[in-house]
Amino acid sequence: MPKHIILITFMTWFVLGQIKPPEGLRENSPGVWALDGGDIFIEPGNLKESATIIIRDGLIEKVGKNIDIPKDASIINMSGKTIYPGFIDSWVETSVNKRTLTLHDSHWNVKVQSGREMSRMYQPDKQKINSLQKLGFTTAHTVPDSGIFQGQTAVIQLDEEGTVLSSKIAQAIAYEVDGWGSKTYPNALLGVVALIRQTLIDADWYNSAIDQTESYPEFNEPLNRNGDLASLGHWIQSKKPFLFETNHELSALRSFNISNEFNLNVWLKGSGYEYRRISEIASAKPFVILPLNFPITPDISDPNQALSYTTAELKHWEMAPDNPAELIEYNIPMGFTSHGLDGKEFQNNLRRTVERSLSETDALAALTTIPAKHMGLGDRIGKIKAGYLANLTIVDGNYFKKKSELLSVWIGGKEVSIKPKYNVNPEGKWNLNIGERAYQLELKKTGKSYSGTIIQDTTKFKLSKIMVSGRFVSWMVTWDPTSSPSRFTGYLFTSTMEGTANDEQLKWSAVRSGETEKKEKKKTSETRTELSVLYPEGAYGWENPSLEEKTVLVQNATIWTCDKQGVLKGYDILFKKGKISKISKNIKPSRKAMVIDGKGKHVTPGLIDCHSHSAAFSINEGTQSVTAEVRIQDVINSDDIAIYRELAGGLTMANILHGSANTIGGQNAVIKLRWGSSPGQLLYSNAVKGIKFALGENVKQSNWGDKHTTRYPQTRMGVEQLLRDAFTSAVEYKNEWRDYQNSPKKWKKKVPPKRDLELEALVEILEGERQIHCHSYRQDEILMLTRVAEDFGFTIGTFQHILEGYKVADRLKQHGAHASTFSDWWAYKYEVIDAIPYNGALMTDVGVNVSFNSDSGELARRMNTEAAKGVKYGGLSEEEALKLVTLNPAIQLGIDQWVGSLEKGKDADFVIWSEHPMSPTAVCEQTWIDGIQYFSLEQDREFRKRDKELRENLMGKILKVGGDKKGKEWKHKEEESTKHIHCQEEF
Amino acid sequence: MKIFFGFIFLLRCLFSSDQIPGSNQSHPILIQGGTIHTVSEGSLEGSDLLFENGKIIAIGKNLRLSSETKIINAVGQHVFPGLISAASTIGLQEIGAVRATRDFAEVGDVNPNVRANVSYNPDSELIPVSRSNGILLALSVPRSGLISGTSSLMMLDGWTWEDATMKHPIGLHLFWPSMNVSKPHGGNKKEKKKPDTRLKSIQKIDDLIQNARAYLQLKDSKSPSFKHDLRLEGMLPAIMGEIPFFVHANEVRQIEAAVYWSERQNLKMVLVGGKDSWRVTQLLKEKEVPVIYTHVHSLPMRRYEAFDQPFITPLQLFKAGVKFCISNSESSFQTPHIRNLPYHAAKASSYGLPHNEALRSITLSTAEILGVSENVGSLEIGKDATFFISDGDILDIRTQINQAFIQGKSVDLSDRHKMLYSKYRKKYQQKGILK
Repeated sequence: MPKHIILITFMTWFVLGQIKPPEGLRENSPGVWALDGGDIFIEPGNLKESATIIIRDGLIEKVGKNIDIPKDASIINMSGKTIYPGFIDSWVETSVNKRTLTLHDSHWNVKVQSGREMSRMYQPDKQKINSLQKLGFTTAHTVPDSGIFQGQTAVIQLDEEGTVLSSKIAQAIAYEVDGWGSKTYPNALLGVVALIRQTLIDADWYNSAIDQTESYPEFNEPLNRNGDLASLGHWIQSKKPFLFETNHELSALRSFNISNEFNLNVWLKGSGYEYRRISEIASAKPFVILPLNFPITPDISDPNQALSYTTAELKHWEMAPDNPAELIEYNIPMGFTSHGLDGKEFQNNLRRTVERSLSETDALAALTTIPAKHMGLGDRIGKIKAGYLANLTIVDGNYFKKKSELLSVWIGGKEVSIKPKYNVNPEGKWNLNIGERAYQLELKKTGKSYSGTIIQDTTKFKLSKIMVSGRFVSWMVTWDPTSSPSRFTGYLFTSTMEGTANDEQLKWSAVRSGETEKKEKKKTSETRTELSVLYPEGAYGWENPSLEEKTVLVQNATIWTCDKQGVLKGYDILFKKGKISKISKNIKPSRKAMVIDGKGKHVTPGLIDCHSHSAAFSINEGTQSVTAEVRIQDVINSDDIAIYRELAGGLTMANILHGSANTIGGQNAVIKLRWGSSPGQLLYSNAVKGIKFALGENVKQSNWGDKHTTRYPQTRMGVEQLLRDAFTSAVEYKNEWRDYQNSPKKWKKKVPPKRDLELEALVEILEGERQIHCHSYRQDEILMLTRVAEDFGFTIGTFQHILEGYKVADRLKQHGAHASTFSDWWAYKYEVIDAIPYNGALMTDVGVNVSFNSDSGELARRMNTEAAKGVKYGGLSEEEALKLVTLNPAIQLGIDQWVGSLEKGKDADFVIWSEHPMSPTAVCEQTWIDGIQYFSLEQDREFRKRDKELRENLMGKILKVGGDKKGKEWKHKEEESTKHIHCQEEF
Repeated sequence: MKIFFGFIFLLRCLFSSDQIPGSNQSHPILIQGGTIHTVSEGSLEGSDLLFENGKIIAIGKNLRLSSETKIINAVGQHVFPGLISAASTIGLQEIGAVRATRDFAEVGDVNPNVRANVSYNPDSELIPVSRSNGILLALSVPRSGLISGTSSLMMLDGWTWEDATMKHPIGLHLFWPSMNVSKPHGGNKKEKKKPDTRLKSIQKIDDLIQNARAYLQLKDSKSPSFKHDLRLEGMLPAIMGEIPFFVHANEVRQIEAAVYWSERQNLKMVLVGGKDSWRVTQLLKEKEVPVIYTHVHSLPMRRYEAFDQPFITPLQLFKAGVKFCISNSESSFQTPHIRNLPYHAAKASSYGLPHNEALRSITLSTAEILGVSENVGSLEIGKDATFFISDGDILDIRTQINQAFIQGKSVDLSDRHKMLYSKYRKKYQQKGILK
């Protein structure tokens, strides 16, 4: 933007600011100043010592060394002071909750407030402004504090008027989760992401729809206006930034996924955990607004209390202060925010991070030029240059070091004093005269309180009740315990003070004679952490995130192929390039190959769990009966310790399903348990797309309590109708789109159909591209769903749980559905009163493909012995039984071409067992995925040893520093989410 | 109201099992030629076991038989003492989610007077299902509040709860309060450190003990001020040391607090749960506190703990010399699944606990901790003829149970599951799908 235009805009504001007629007398404070002799940071890294700044009418007119000071400027001596460009707080929340207007053109979902403009909502809050000024901030990027699409941010001056410098900076988005208690959509993280996605689509559609209705009113019904979508559509088109508020490094990655999908310009409000996935975050090149919310030192003096800290939490205590430096090293532009910190915490933490690892220049840039540039104000704020706003932060000393003091800030050419300038510190040695007599006086300050003594020859008298308030001083001294104390009051000049004692009867004066000797408290300076991140962070994490695939030869083992070859005793199996290369006797090892002696050992395919809720941040979006649009893959938690524990039980893959709170739940994610990878790398893209459905007690809320009796459906009859309604509308939706695509002429002047992700998922089912995994128990409902499916022309993928499947196995076979069941659960609710452990075997006998699943992060660790229950109950052969947890679930997920059995060319996913995998004493010794060893007992021992030392070292360090009673601890979301749910239990 | 009672009646019908309780042993029976897993004296291959009037009268080879002795050929078979589940709500619940069928939690925090066996439903469908896999005895435990009541050891067969009661009371159950000290964490600015409530909750228990003792003194001294109080009356057997307090506690601070409390109060204690017990084995050994460990099939308590911690805890208790037994999870959700008890022991065994010890931990050790080892828990002369015959190691899932006896009475090993299985096999046979 050419400069004159900026000036014009600025002037416009200036004039507008004066629109209100004056009340009483006009105020016209002088606006021309020369700040002379200070050390001036023109911009980060560019310091001009003993230079001068000329300020005229709110702007910087000139800056430099030895410049002429205009005649009309008043000079302020700044020698010895440091002048920084005024600091920008990049994230200041303004409460908008109570001021949310429900306008007629508002979005249907109250959490979509994309039309909200902070420049219009902002109300200056004196207290808050004051606390920001005290930290040196002159400008703030203000964001709304609630909603999912929260609205459009603005940059404001931290003056009393709340001058808006720029509006419509970024659209703030937050993953605001209300939790299970809320009945409004969305209440879960996966619903939130789905709403974001659908809203972005709607916004795109809306603007073209409006154009179309306006251009061809004769062909279109009038469209309901939606201001939120209108402004959002414009936002996307003009590539304006979307600012995602994250609380977790994985939520940063999730934000990138959404941004990539819609080609958005992405910004992040950081979490402080970025260092854990720094390279992935760097590759998206976002502008990051970073909080400096370092955890306080935990109190671990009680060893039992210390147990409650995870290794990752302890590490975070050690590593968090180096997070900003990590961002710099990866060239991630950042701004800082004091959000969430009290009082001086921000400044203290900033000093810590600078002391440890962040350069002062980078720190200053994060407070000035970087946010200014990203917010489109790079030529107005952030530097001290001619034409810039006269925003200054003036410090006695170096802001980034201890003991410096913030003196004042200048905001738009007006000074706001932070510390009274004319105060004098009375500390030191003084020659004191009381009346005619001479004494020595010494005053010391510790913390906020003073102590002092008067010395007469060699006798010391202690002062009490010392008060220093600005330049006023007073104290008491007892000369003689038998008489009452003398009281002194006086006034401080720079190097003298004087006053009266004992009710003005006695005059005293003092002249400064020297400094007090202060014992410097030696605080060891902090240094950058020597720890490095583990993948995932915390116990059992890998040091290196990219593990290497190996050529492996297992010799002379018993091999459960789970295919036609059956069980091969005394065979060798070779894995190469992540695939199974050969199974035969006496394979010669190549030089590169890792050779494992398989004598006495059993090798099976990696076990597959067809019903899991591990590794997800969120499971149930239960507010509506149909939520086909929500996706588990949006909320994968690759750091879930459940992954490692399940690997240790020989599991290599899992079908992560939505919960069963509603009839049509969300889309599943099939994952490989690649421990240490990021969420995206866990996904197994070969799997047939799926979706969770549910029937029976859960979806009719039978066991949710008396407050849940109004959501449709409340009966199994209603469940069927709901399904028919959903699929009927999907058919209509599909037809409308087909018509739109086939008859462009007809649609030329009409509003195009709107993409609806919920219906799209249902259409995919109709077209056989997405298969249903249906939570079900009773035979009636199982039968019902097969009929509904057939009426709509598709086949059910799997029935999950299906505990009465044995009653209608013939029907299942006829329909072509698979069955994934529990080995032996029953009696936990009424609809499972007829569940029997023979279910799996009987269905198998009739010819249904059956798997056993866990639905539990605990049970998933011992699926080998679960399979043995197929032998016990109903007499399956051991080979057939093992298929219940290997080949059969692979077939059910549509991935048996790649996994599920040990056949040449399939993925090198395998487990080495200490003995027969169904024997009661079998132990999983090694688990491999794609030729990479993800678990072994040996590696586990090494992890334990390393982690034990790590914990001990960290604890030692923490105990040395000593617990900190003040401040807050910061709990990581991942660590909170280890609680595991399975969809059988009441919610 | 009518509809309501109708509903109960309906459930009652549904949940009345079809199996017929065994009749008293009328003649001696010899189990011949099997492997007798005595538990107390090791395993005897190709041995015989003779029992009469519900008691074992001889074990060995070439036993002398009376003419009326009936012989059961057990060649190639295995004989095990009945397995004992040490934590369940069996008989007190039918369908977890159906309130009308839940009888294990009385209202209020303090219910020492309620007794499990009086509401044990001998016709519960859960009972035949459990005993089908060799669980012939189970502790039925009230679960609620702070003090939930007294537990009963039930034989899983019988016409009435009185028939089925093996022993009552076994223990007074105390659910130890949380000993967490909450720590502040981020997010909520106003959150303050919550006060340490640990002393307060222990004080509540101490007050109750003090009252119970005072009550006992009034009663013993026949004081004119004495008035009956059923709750305090219910405390007396435990106060007088006739039965132990079964303290349910898992976290290390709870365990420590409970152990020191029982010592200070001079009360007998059994620890139930004991998830963190491996952290305090020395304390448990020194104070001679037995442990009913219920967490083999559970996840490690803390993220950084070893994946196999729940599996190896029994081994650690064993090595430290702590008296312990293994039980299925005590949660009411798991009560229908107590038939899996031997697999809890098997898992501990696969991660190092010797096989003998694993077997002992669900039989004799359990009997010892429950105070019934004189009669059950092992195959020894003079003990109850409560045992079963299987075709293999009971720790192995693939093993099938053929016959079972409780105090010499032959147990009907059919159950709801087997009946439904055969019913629906018939369906497919009718349709010509199965042979």
